Amino acid sequence: MEATALAWLGAGLGAGLVALGAGIGIGRLAGPAMEGSARQPEAAGDIRTSMIIAAALIEGVALFGLAICFLLAIK
Amino acid sequence: MELKVIASHRCRLPALALALAPALVSVMMMSISSPVLAAAEGEELDTVEHTADGVYLDFAPFGSIELPRILLVRNDEGMRLDAFANTTAALQSGMYTLVHESEDGHIEHVSDEAVLAQMIAGKVHLHSSIAPAEGEIVVDFSVTRHLVFGILAALITLMIFITLARQYATGRGCESAPRGIFQNMFESAVIFVRDEIAKPNLGDKYPRFLPFLLTAFFFILFSNILGLVPFGGAATSNISVTLVLALFTFVLGQFHASKDHWKHIFWPPGVPFAIKFILIPVEFIGLFTKHAALAIRLFANMMAGSLVILSLIGLIFTFNSIFGGAVAWGVTPVSLLMTLFISFVKLLVAFIQAYVFTMLSALFIGMAVAEHAEHEGEPPALHEPKRDVTPLFAGDGDVVKATTVERHREPVAAA
Repeated sequence: MEATALAWLGAGLGAGLVALGAGIGIGRLAGPAMEGSARQPEAAGDIRTSMIIAAALIEGVALFGLAICFLLAIK
Repeated sequence: MELKVIASHRCRLPALALALAPALVSVMMMSISSPVLAAAEGEELDTVEHTADGVYLDFAPFGSIELPRILLVRNDEGMRLDAFANTTAALQSGMYTLVHESEDGHIEHVSDEAVLAQMIAGKVHLHSSIAPAEGEIVVDFSVTRHLVFGILAALITLMIFITLARQYATGRGCESAPRGIFQNMFESAVIFVRDEIAKPNLGDKYPRFLPFLLTAFFFILFSNILGLVPFGGAATSNISVTLVLALFTFVLGQFHASKDHWKHIFWPPGVPFAIKFILIPVEFIGLFTKHAALAIRLFANMMAGSLVILSLIGLIFTFNSIFGGAVAWGVTPVSLLMTLFISFVKLLVAFIQAYVFTMLSALFIGMAVAEHAEHEGEPPALHEPKRDVTPLFAGDGDVVKATTVERHREPVAAA
């Protein structure tokens, strides 16, 4: 297989893995966040804020990987 | 001046409504936007081209505007600064050639007038770079799409805050309650940044850094939203812009850093001696990677949003070319629904990324300027001498009694 084809393949696989990682990470954080809000509705606001911040950070890492996939696909 | 007004939830609604409207309109316009039209006419739907920076502004059904080129060129005689009204003028002046990649892949410099005219007519010149006929480009100061939208976002922020400042200077909002949607809306936002982002992370030093945090928050917010409106582009989807913003955070933090900060990096306390030498490079590099991550997070989020939308719409055309017309028509509603959903997600992401950037900036600056008096391993005194804690007022019908406190602790058994 020529290099370009391998690069495209790598980019596709990488993007899928990145999505998987982000999904697992954010899913694992959203579950306990829901439970915590259900147990203590007064803390729901704080929990929501922390959840959003953590989700943004996890998504940031996922997007680093995505950026590399794009580099692979373009170059 | 202290803003003594309680921000009410009703003030947030106008902001939300104003922000949602562009998203809805943009999805509708997306179906007649330029890359879609181009693809409909048979050309390629170039998602990357459309999200990345370019030398022209695309107002698809109505035409496009080419942006000025300003180039610093060096040749044998020295350096000179060239300014052209647009790329076409630069090429037609004879001083520049078009760097064009032909079909078999090799790069050629096109300077022949007839071929150039043909390429200009076919709009090829907008997608390739230009090179000077003699010499080389030192710095390309050209006005590009992202620069235009960045300046627009900056102008919007300036106008909003200058107007706000003038309103508060006349006493409206300080001595009396703020009036009107505009003042209330932005007061909620400013108070939000001050109380949720600046104060928790910076403590008492927040007034010094609050202007920067507010600037960062609103510039990023407006820049992100400009990327969502039709025919708009996001300056923050350019890595240069986000890198500079992260650089500001870095410089600001390190410039005002306390001695404790440097001590913690170069001589971490509370760590075994041998490990210190491993930890020092890690901490030092970590300083830079933290801020770089700040930049890349914002850039990747904004760029990914645009790419995802254009890819989803491109799905329609892909199905069209592979399976034929009927399947493409069937895919269209699904694709448009997904595009609508992703547009809402992008709107949310616009706000969230602005908030996360500002919060992490505040966190990093706070960590750098924090001074903590550390007692390394010193236990609290076992005996506290007598102190007078007589209260000022007594309870109902009581008389103030003189009160003192003296503490004596038993030593805890050594671990």
